Amino acid sequence: MAVEPLYNALSAIKTLRSNVAVAFESLGNGIRSDHGEDGKETKFLLELQDQLTVVNNNLRDVEQSIGNLQPPHNPFSLGNSGYLSHEYSHDRQALYSQLVLSYKWTDKVHEYCNLAHAQLSQNSLTRSYTNTASAKRRRVQTSSHNVPPHAVDKVITQIDRLLPEMSVSITRPFATNVVLHVSVGRVLRAIIAFKGLLIEWIIVKGFMESLDLWTESRFKVFRKVTENAHAAVMRFYMPPMPEVSVKSFMTWLHSFNTLFSDTCKGCGLHLRNAMPPTWREFRTLEPYHEECKP
Amino acid sequence: MILMPNFGVVVAGPPRTVHLLNNSEQPATVFSILESGQKQVPLVSDPLFMDLMKKLASVYTGKQQTRMEAKGPRFEVADFLVKLGTVTMNQNFKGVLVEVEYRPCVVPAYCWELIREFMQGFLGTCAPAQAPVYLQNRMQEIYQPLDTIQQYLEQFREYRKAVTVR
Amino acid sequence: MMAQPLSSAIDTAFKSNIVPDQEYLLQGSVLDKVVEVLLHRLRGLCDNVDSGPEPFQDHEMCFTIRTTPTPLNLRVRRALDHQEMPWQLRYIGQPEYGDKMRPTIIRSSIDIGCSATVVEFLTELGCRMEFEYIARGYMFRKGRMKITVSKVFKMNQNKSQESMEPLSESYLVELSVLAPRGQDAIAEDMRSFAEQLRPLVNLDKVDFKRLVHGPP
Repeated sequence: MAVEPLYNALSAIKTLRSNVAVAFESLGNGIRSDHGEDGKETKFLLELQDQLTVVNNNLRDVEQSIGNLQPPHNPFSLGNSGYLSHEYSHDRQALYSQLVLSYKWTDKVHEYCNLAHAQLSQNSLTRSYTNTASAKRRRVQTSSHNVPPHAVDKVITQIDRLLPEMSVSITRPFATNVVLHVSVGRVLRAIIAFKGLLIEWIIVKGFMESLDLWTESRFKVFRKVTENAHAAVMRFYMPPMPEVSVKSFMTWLHSFNTLFSDTCKGCGLHLRNAMPPTWREFRTLEPYHEECKP
Repeated sequence: MILMPNFGVVVAGPPRTVHLLNNSEQPATVFSILESGQKQVPLVSDPLFMDLMKKLASVYTGKQQTRMEAKGPRFEVADFLVKLGTVTMNQNFKGVLVEVEYRPCVVPAYCWELIREFMQGFLGTCAPAQAPVYLQNRMQEIYQPLDTIQQYLEQFREYRKAVTVR
Repeated sequence: MMAQPLSSAIDTAFKSNIVPDQEYLLQGSVLDKVVEVLLHRLRGLCDNVDSGPEPFQDHEMCFTIRTTPTPLNLRVRRALDHQEMPWQLRYIGQPEYGDKMRPTIIRSSIDIGCSATVVEFLTELGCRMEFEYIARGYMFRKGRMKITVSKVFKMNQNKSQESMEPLSESYLVELSVLAPRGQDAIAEDMRSFAEQLRPLVNLDKVDFKRLVHGPP
């Protein structure tokens, strides 16, 4: 069905209503001071006449655009939910208009998804094994970004129990995805955004700093650790085994418990360029300065 | 930079002293430390507290008011803060205080070795081997601005005891 | 680096009259059973319409210290419902009632935010606690004016908040503005606002000394 004439009709009605309101308002207000002193009645009448002419024109527009409308040939195809209109009970009928809306919405989502899929399948830098291009059907992949919430909770609490110096609290500010607040000893705090069991983003800050997803730490050392954490997220990324990936990353982060007290394995000192060892080897978790790392 | 007019308070009972201190790192805060015998009560407040102390003028004897100040340049090296303060007592030169703060770390015990290494870098053998006495009992606690003030007060007290310039 | 020492910066601020150290005050009270009507009216009149009235529950302690010529009154207040907020130390001077022409009480007042050690500090300094109470109620805002409607409770020993014992069967209503010296125009605004609350509550210059001696 053509939507354009329907939109036109609706906007014509909107204009009509607004101009009618204007006319009634000026009628209600009566003669105003800006009509001046001389012949104020005539000026007022002229103004009202103008407004009524506008209203008349608008009304004509409305009638015209209604004339352009065609009743839909066949009803919207709504699947089984279409039968809902046969429901006589009034309190249930309120459902109908909402269903129409959500149907349209899902229809749109479907369309966008198709477009997005077409775009993304051309991108060779994809991090997920979604399109292996081969025609043979493989075993259903374990998905790392579409995991039920209780499974995510289970993995995270398991990690929490495993690492004594680390305490985590789970929040879900946006529907199902977890935003994790972590504190490691009294050394640092981190905020980690998950998508399912996939780590999307992390910010590391000082223990007394306030946490949010976007502002960096005031301190150079934590900005460096944040940078290294992003590298670690990539390093530990393992879509077929998301639990292992999260667990290794958290163990790695936990090793920063001794950020200020460890000496560098390379040079044996605390400081280099006035910075403590901010790098931890991924396998051995040994501390190194940025400049000393092997 | 810290300035310290201090007030000897005399009410019925044992003598009490109130030290008022201010640190340019927290310009809108006044730190007051009340000493009564062995007991110390700190108070952190708005600067208007100074005005209230004036209202209390008839309670304290202004007799021993001394004003000490540590003033000088401030440097930042990565996350370290270094302040070199020339200490004066009622405008007489007393000595130089070096303050080193490692700001990312909030527990002194975690970073004492690191700070010591840093200080050795530019003070050589002058660098202290032990943490300041005030901090020794508080190495595992969370460090607060008041702790810096307390350490300055301790240093100022030493200067006042010393008769000659060190 | 600071341009000038803090103490002289404060002196300068006082001399140029930018420190709000004068409190303009009107007081009144309403019975418990009609307080809802007053709250409803205030909701309509005041600025925080959409957010609704702001509830508060404060613990207030009143200290005195012997100074010459008159003893000094100091009040310490803390929010029981927001324990993480700083405590407030407040000096309140002698109220001036003035003549009939003056619309409000004026008293000097210094508000100081401070740490929780303030009670111990004042006690060691030689202050004595005279009394303490809990005030629970609502706060409204209208421009610079602050309106509080609160009920005063006795401080009980076990400190459980359910079994608090009210001091009277009425609510205390206070209309106040904290302003720098010499801004008397605000007092007129307060008078006209108080006028709008009549006859729900009669806000006036209440003279405590007369209350103590009974009606004349």
